[in-house]
Amino acid sequence: MNCQRFENVVSELARGQMLAAEQRGEALAHSETCEKCAARLRDEEMLTRGLQSLAAEMETLGAPAAVESKLLEAFRTRHVVTPIASRRSNASYWAAAIAAMLLIAISVVVFRWSNSADEPREVVKQTEPQATPENKVPENKPAEQFTAGVQEHEDLLPQRVKPKRVRNSGVRPASAQLANHVNNEIATDFIPLSYMSAASLQEGGQIVRVQLPRSALANFGLPVNMDRYNERVKADVLFGVDGRAQAIRFVQ
Amino acid sequence: MTNGLNWRMNLKSDLSDSELLRSMLAGDEEALALLYRRRQGGIFRFALQMSGSKTIAEDVTQEVFLFLMREGHVFDPARGSVSAFLMGVARNHVLRRLRVEHLLAPLGDDSDDDAPFLHPSSDLCPLDDLTRAETIESVRKAVLSLPSKYREVVVLCELQDISYGETAEILGCAIGTVRSRLHRARALLLEKLRPVAAVEETGSATVRCFA
Repeated sequence: MNCQRFENVVSELARGQMLAAEQRGEALAHSETCEKCAARLRDEEMLTRGLQSLAAEMETLGAPAAVESKLLEAFRTRHVVTPIASRRSNASYWAAAIAAMLLIAISVVVFRWSNSADEPREVVKQTEPQATPENKVPENKPAEQFTAGVQEHEDLLPQRVKPKRVRNSGVRPASAQLANHVNNEIATDFIPLSYMSAASLQEGGQIVRVQLPRSALANFGLPVNMDRYNERVKADVLFGVDGRAQAIRFVQ
Repeated sequence: MTNGLNWRMNLKSDLSDSELLRSMLAGDEEALALLYRRRQGGIFRFALQMSGSKTIAEDVTQEVFLFLMREGHVFDPARGSVSAFLMGVARNHVLRRLRVEHLLAPLGDDSDDDAPFLHPSSDLCPLDDLTRAETIESVRKAVLSLPSKYREVVVLCELQDISYGETAEILGCAIGTVRSRLHRARALLLEKLRPVAAVEETGSATVRCFA
């Protein structure tokens, strides 16, 4: 063994943790022939004894008893408080559930009451504007100009195959229903244009009767009779208070 | 009451650390008490030897077991023993505390006035000339003056007598790293325990021969 290899194992040797008896023998033999390595070994052994003395001195040290008491107290508190907390949380869940049910019940009552109160106003608001001459489509104006607004938004329709039917009775003006009965006209429901929501149809407005090419039916996903393809079809366009076309229905 | 508690604890004294931890997490106070009494000494001493402060050691010991109460379920037996887990938690707390209190700066440094407690290498053992108390005090100071990565391997392997393998688990490094750090740490300790005069004479703090 040379000094370099001795240096690599001297710590282990001094700590009594030599790996193999043969290696230990070689290291000890080298320290007997090399004074410097012998001194190095003595230093390491001295250090080992110093560390062992320090370890022995501190061996009996431990945390004060107060630490254990605090920990056990914390443990008890933790395991006693938790069930109480869970009971409280259960109670709060029940309270929240009851409150939610009450809120829903009140909302339903208020909603029904407000609907019943609004119905007469809607009838008044959506008075039949069709009868007035100024609202009629001028004869010299082509009907296409009314459909232009419809067609320019048709690509925004979410589904072109099926027309979106407005099932809310408030959407269809009461006057229109009356007209259907009187004139024996058959009409589709109002089909909202793509930028309009069903709710906005309830704001009222003016209905203008127009004539459109029959191909316009296809734009709204309605069936088209190809035998009468060149004929025109009647339609009612509902204009909002802002003058924009909100919905359309086809009349036969 | 106390006798009853001790009797029940005696029954559980044969349980392993893992079993005690499981019982503790299930709400068994005696399991906590047993585990604490079994492991608090090592943790307290580790923290004390790392920090040199009893206050920090007490706080760390308490924090380790409070952590065990809160987060004990994160212990994975496949990754090591409970004692290694606890020591790893203690190590994190100590290092964090030392960072906060700016105690990581070496106490002695190279120009330490308290350093020359040991004589240079000679036929006589340098420690022979010192009283035991002085020796212990000088070694303690030298250990405290080591950089933390060397101090922790000295504390764990030399003072706590923990195996290289378990030390590697605690520190989260390879066994070879533990060995090399310990070797370097011992060299540093010898330098610190060597008298300044001897260092000036030889011109080097490390005595090596490469015959």
